[in-house]
Amino acid sequence: MEELDLLKKNWNKAGAFEQISEAQIYKMLLKKSSSIVKWILVISIIELLIWSGSSLLVSADEAMKKFNIKNLNTYVVVSNVIHYSIIISFIILFYFNYKKISVVTSTKNLMQSILKTRKTVQYYIWYNLGMITLSFVVGIVLVFNLDPAISKLNQNANFRYGFIIGFTIIAIVFIGIFWMLYKIIYGRLLKKLYKNYEELKKIDF
Amino acid sequence: MFMSITLEQSFVQQLKENQNIIHKICRLYTNDSDAHKDLFQEVTIQLWNAFPKFRGDSKFSTWAYRVALNTAITLYRKSTRTIKTSEYEKHSFYISQEDYNSEQEEQLKLMYKAVYQLNDIEKALIFMYLEDANYAEIAETLGISEVNARVKMNRIKGKLKKILNP
Repeated sequence: MEELDLLKKNWNKAGAFEQISEAQIYKMLLKKSSSIVKWILVISIIELLIWSGSSLLVSADEAMKKFNIKNLNTYVVVSNVIHYSIIISFIILFYFNYKKISVVTSTKNLMQSILKTRKTVQYYIWYNLGMITLSFVVGIVLVFNLDPAISKLNQNANFRYGFIIGFTIIAIVFIGIFWMLYKIIYGRLLKKLYKNYEELKKIDF
Repeated sequence: MFMSITLEQSFVQQLKENQNIIHKICRLYTNDSDAHKDLFQEVTIQLWNAFPKFRGDSKFSTWAYRVALNTAITLYRKSTRTIKTSEYEKHSFYISQEDYNSEQEEQLKLMYKAVYQLNDIEKALIFMYLEDANYAEIAETLGISEVNARVKMNRIKGKLKKILNP
């Protein structure tokens, strides 16, 4: 291709770039990176903190205490141990995945390791959303069955269905808001990466 | 007192000597001088962070262009302060005075415009082609097979032809 050859011929002739001095390079080294990996790290840490905090706020423990369930302590201890080991595993997994991101590897590897790190946080959030929903459901079931005032109301089918429908709508709206927020934040951040990853996949089928 | 050259000094020196290869990538991936500088800055930071592990088993320039391509394709986010200004005349730079030839220059301009229309991955392939990288190296840099790199390269040439002769 004639034009490409012309381009190639002229490619190395360029003395045309404004040369950057050593002093300017030293200055550049002091500046902070604004790469997407850095943004993912910052956002992920915020998420890890917020969600591990939120699981402290919402819990069925209180409701259970109120109703004097047998073996409550054992239940609480076991579920807390499981819950926090899962959270810690997520954080460790995130750390190792993050550490594996290397700019020196191939483009495909780099993209895959970024996506993997991001997925870890995503699963972590789904896990937490699941736990919150579970705690809510457990709490509600307990209240319905054990609180005398409410269990009376519960015998009214209209009330029961109304409550279930209302609860489901609130849950859907709640999850919907999160989903949108994530679409916006990560959509903006990872749009280019997804696009280029697809292009690479098209070449290497 | 004898002082050995520090890691930082060695990095700055080598980057200064090899800066053109990074400028070339910035030129392919950005379309105004602010964005060019911004990308150059990000590449410099990425290179510096990776430098302690640079063993010198490849040339500094090869190592640097891989990091720069990864930065341009994957890591770099257009800074919001870079407003889209009019496209500056990036093309005319490439011909030195002595063999100035207006027809050739016109052709080159069109060629650069066409390359700019390619997607990020295609630009990387063209860049490495212009740098005389062999297909094994192209394949390794992008993480694809050699055969597919070759096939893709031919397709890009076809695509460029189409852009130039619609």
